[in-house]
Amino acid sequence: MQESNTSPTEGTPISEGEAIARLRQTEDMANRYYAAWWLGRMRSRHPEAVPLLCQALHRISSLEPETGPEKGHEKGVDAKAIAMNAARALGRMNAQASIPDLLDVLDADDYRLREVAAQALGDLKAAAAVPALTNRLASGTNGAGKPSSEGSPQLNEPCEAMLEALGEIGNSSAEIIAIITPFSNHERPLIKSAACRALLQLTEDNSWAMSIEKLLNHPQPLVRRGALIDLGAVGWLPALKAINETQVENSLKLIALKGLAEHGRPSRMTPTHNIHVLEAMDALL
Amino acid sequence: MLKLNDAIAQLDQANSTEALIVATRQLASLTNLAAAPKLIEVLSFNNPAAALVAVDGLIALGQEVVPSILSNLDAHNYGARAWAIRVLADLGDVRGITALIDALLNDVGPSVRRTAARGLGDLRLKTETGDGQEPLNRCIQALLQARKDGEWVVRYAITTGLERQIQSGQLSSALKSEAYGVLEELASDQEDTNVVRQRAKLALQRLTAP
Repeated sequence: MQESNTSPTEGTPISEGEAIARLRQTEDMANRYYAAWWLGRMRSRHPEAVPLLCQALHRISSLEPETGPEKGHEKGVDAKAIAMNAARALGRMNAQASIPDLLDVLDADDYRLREVAAQALGDLKAAAAVPALTNRLASGTNGAGKPSSEGSPQLNEPCEAMLEALGEIGNSSAEIIAIITPFSNHERPLIKSAACRALLQLTEDNSWAMSIEKLLNHPQPLVRRGALIDLGAVGWLPALKAINETQVENSLKLIALKGLAEHGRPSRMTPTHNIHVLEAMDALL
Repeated sequence: MLKLNDAIAQLDQANSTEALIVATRQLASLTNLAAAPKLIEVLSFNNPAAALVAVDGLIALGQEVVPSILSNLDAHNYGARAWAIRVLADLGDVRGITALIDALLNDVGPSVRRTAARGLGDLRLKTETGDGQEPLNRCIQALLQARKDGEWVVRYAITTGLERQIQSGQLSSALKSEAYGVLEELASDQEDTNVVRQRAKLALQRLTAP
């Protein structure tokens, strides 16, 4: 479940040139923050966009972890927030050239930075990220998947994002499957769902889809939404009925069904299945 | 009458989401037009579960409820407006056309624009008397104008709306060719969302099938 719609002060239209200029300057941090988001949102192809966004990733590396508002800190926006927007933008823009920079961020001390780096590397289907991701997850549910401190919402690693990235990247070696599988029994439903999602993508084995479908009946709306997004991200066509019937707002069901129509898994499915998906979407408008 | 007053009193006394839903359901089940103002009030409570029940209740009241909806379109309560647009879209009454067009072209919420596009596609206008041609024209023009909407789901809804209006067989040949033009655009590489292209292609396929 990694749909993060951080749209800072949406509604101030700027041009691509203006966005580049705002990201190039280093005085006004709020402007840099907005520009990084804007370039991703518009999937900019400006030749300076990727280099500038990569620079924004690295402005953080010289700082102390978790702290260090950069010079010119304004309006509560700091270098970390800008780096996070930059990572998301690079993923959205499918900026393959940024993979080495994102791999650096995957080693950051900061949890949230590792999380967005993993998400972006997943978006980029970056095979080069597999060793780092599997290394971080290899300690399993009692290591990487353990709360970072007693009662903390954060685990030692951003497992959800890392598991999802491995699924997106699509390398299905036995070793990788073995590292992911224990997380399918994680006590937290969102982690469980992320692991099942990755395993479903990598193996196309319907039993993983059934595990996610069970979560569509979970009493917490947040879990139902996460499971829905996960089935949509895989594009698992047999889940059409379950998605249709879950108690979630139509907007989210539409996003999940869009995934079904666009990814259409398992791969043996035919175009007529897509018509059923489109008809289900029509009924939700 | 007593039953209506009782149901309204219960709704006014509801002090939890559960109680509110039960009371709204009870009021809606009377299918009494006099319950409409209270059901419309529920739309503004910022309680999605109760609003959903009220929406269904209002739709069940049928087209007679349209004037009350229109006179209560509360510009200041965004949530209530969004729900009201949903009722208007489902009722398909021509009196809702201005509100639907305004929502499609100006609302900030993608789900509201999406619903408005669907509603405009479902509007059934009586053109045989000649009275329907002008609103039909406005309806199609709005759908055409909104084809550049930044949200894929709104463009998706526009493909379905155009398909239905072409299918209705009431479009003048000029409007029809404009509508086809937009469907072809949305089915082409100019449209960057895969599922929108799929849906536009399906519309064209169905419309041109013998």
